[in-house]
Amino acid sequence: MVEFGIEFVPRDLYWRTTFYAIQAEKRGFNYLWITDHFNNRNVYVSLATVAAYTDRIRFGPGVTNPYMVHPVVTAQAVASLDEIAPGRVVCGLGAGDKTTLEMLDVQQSKPLSAIREAIQIIRGIVHGGSLELKGDVFKISGAKLSFRAANPIPIFIGAQGPKMLMLAAEIGDGVLINASHPKDVEDALVHIGEGAKKAEKKLRELEVGVYTSFSVAEKVDKAVKAVVPVVAYIVAGCPDVVLERHGISKEKASMIKDAIVQGKWKEAFSQVTPEMVEAFSICGTPDACVEKVNQLTKLGATQIVIGSPIGPNIRESINVIADEISPHFKKS
Amino acid sequence: MTLEKIVKRIPVSLFAVASEKLTDVILESRNADKMPSDLAKPILHHWQKDQLSTEAGLQLLLEASVAVDLEKTIVVMEGLGLAEIATMLREIKQLGKT
Repeated sequence: MVEFGIEFVPRDLYWRTTFYAIQAEKRGFNYLWITDHFNNRNVYVSLATVAAYTDRIRFGPGVTNPYMVHPVVTAQAVASLDEIAPGRVVCGLGAGDKTTLEMLDVQQSKPLSAIREAIQIIRGIVHGGSLELKGDVFKISGAKLSFRAANPIPIFIGAQGPKMLMLAAEIGDGVLINASHPKDVEDALVHIGEGAKKAEKKLRELEVGVYTSFSVAEKVDKAVKAVVPVVAYIVAGCPDVVLERHGISKEKASMIKDAIVQGKWKEAFSQVTPEMVEAFSICGTPDACVEKVNQLTKLGATQIVIGSPIGPNIRESINVIADEISPHFKKS
Repeated sequence: MTLEKIVKRIPVSLFAVASEKLTDVILESRNADKMPSDLAKPILHHWQKDQLSTEAGLQLLLEASVAVDLEKTIVVMEGLGLAEIATMLREIKQLGKT
């Protein structure tokens, strides 16, 4: 059995995002992730609203990063959310989106150390502890919250590269594999296995989420049209080794990235090819999406995150997923 | 004619479908930013509690739908066979007030 998560990007009006969050809960989604980028609505404001208007779904940042948000603030935020929605909060943490961080000249320095120390900090103080840390990236002296989260807050680490995947398995409660294609997930699982082994964990102790870009519609061309902008961003930030795995040229990826950075959206999107869509999204009719999700679950995914854009019409697509896709993977 | 009185003229048998269609208008409107937050919040609350198909929920949806897209709201009512309500909404449009 696999669980289904859903991602919302708070680019939209808060009440629309919240409407879809309520819908996702009603339709049986298990997790809800809100993205964290400086140019969209604040992730924790969005999550607090979700917390207030839902009752059961687990939710959290998907994912925040320790460069834009200091880990003590992340600890503060998720502990605060736990007070509003006890036992439902999860925390997704990763090294951040390179393209948007570069816009602010924020350097992703020592990402492995940053993530390792961020998790130490979050776990160290979220339940009321006091922390001393002289790390490579963070230095903490006697930091303590004046309140505490009463419930466990699982930390999922968002990862794509081998070392981060290993680290995620070693120290995380879960991994969010930033990928949509079985080739990438298969490769990721090798590194996740190595990390789990290093920590003497069994793989089944770890939640393995595949954080996809997803677009479902009855007509393929509508699904593709919706997913192209998201795929453009993915290609722009994609490591060379992943591009090579899918036979996508670095030069083409670079051109898309340059266009995005310059705000030339039409130009960026026009350069997205069918091969890129195939490599970096689950996109198509419900049956086609079932087939692709099936491949991922057979590899060992325990959670499929339905990431942006979800589909050309979010409300319809949530219902399609709940009616025609997820039932194939849930216990009856 | 207030929206509250207009909602009372919608047959109970049409509450569910009217709720669905007005929700579509609101979610798909290009003027969705015209939705006041103090209207959005009770809509979300009613949605959370599965009460958007009640008379109270429908009134909220109608108010929101009229705010973001009066023309489409009129089309929805006509599509549901509620010509009288569509006429009332047109009068609201002509008067420029709700």
